[in-house]
Amino acid sequence: MEQNKEMTAEESLSLITETLNSSRKEITRRSGKYYILWGTLLTLFSLIIYLLWKLTDQAAWNNLWFGMPIIGFLLARLMSRKDTEPHVQNDVSRITQGIWSAFGIFACTVAVFTIAYSYVSDGALDLGRTIRVMVSVASLTAEIVLLFGLAESICGVALKNWAMKIAGFVTGIGGLAIYYITGAAEEQLFIFTFAGLVLVATGLVIKYQYK
Amino acid sequence: MLPKLDPLLHSELRLAIMSLLAGVDEADFTYLKEQTGATSGNLSVQIDKLAEAGYITVEKGFKGKMPRTACRITTEGTEAFRAYVKALKKYIAVGK
Repeated sequence: MEQNKEMTAEESLSLITETLNSSRKEITRRSGKYYILWGTLLTLFSLIIYLLWKLTDQAAWNNLWFGMPIIGFLLARLMSRKDTEPHVQNDVSRITQGIWSAFGIFACTVAVFTIAYSYVSDGALDLGRTIRVMVSVASLTAEIVLLFGLAESICGVALKNWAMKIAGFVTGIGGLAIYYITGAAEEQLFIFTFAGLVLVATGLVIKYQYK
Repeated sequence: MLPKLDPLLHSELRLAIMSLLAGVDEADFTYLKEQTGATSGNLSVQIDKLAEAGYITVEKGFKGKMPRTACRITTEGTEAFRAYVKALKKYIAVGK
């Protein structure tokens, strides 16, 4: 590429378009290796835990799931350090990274929270009950509030707004806490009351931030 | 009357650098070299010119033990780039 080449307006515009497209493709290509890493880990962990559970009839093997984010995070760090490719980051790569981080934080917190709840409510760690509690999360209300919180956190990632990121987390996990406390009774509607209040509070914080 | 094209941006390599930086948060010197196919010396000279004009910032640091030069487009650079693209579109519209 030469710095003194005379270009027409069409050539200049075409150069800009081509450069932007090639850069976007390059950044997308690079994200592939992390999908491979996490996909491999997920496949291996699910199969190993399935086999151990099946062979020993012990649901406690599910605790191995906690090892997956730790191993994945360490491997991702190692891959990033050993990466010989030059560094580049755009909005798309930043948001993608943020979305998966938000998902990871939500998933780990829900698991830890469920085990802690089981321990507190029983006064002892009964893993069989913990698994039952985890299964009971498959309530429509609990699922909706978790997705609601995750969506709000993702919006925070996209807009680079910490208030939204935290509010989403508080809504999702707080909503789940209300669900555990109230169960399937009509009081579970308080989950949405809580989600609505957090949403209003977030709106107020954002309004104040950009006043 | 057609607007004057920014001479700093109306150069193949400098325009490619600005186009690359306009689409990213930041990019390494080596990434710019890889994408533009320019030589290190030539690229370095053009980056300095853009930095002197305040269109980009250049930050030298380390990634692990390896030296790293990170480039970012500035607000002034983004505005100049937008104005340049707007002017180009006018030139093309007149030519049609």
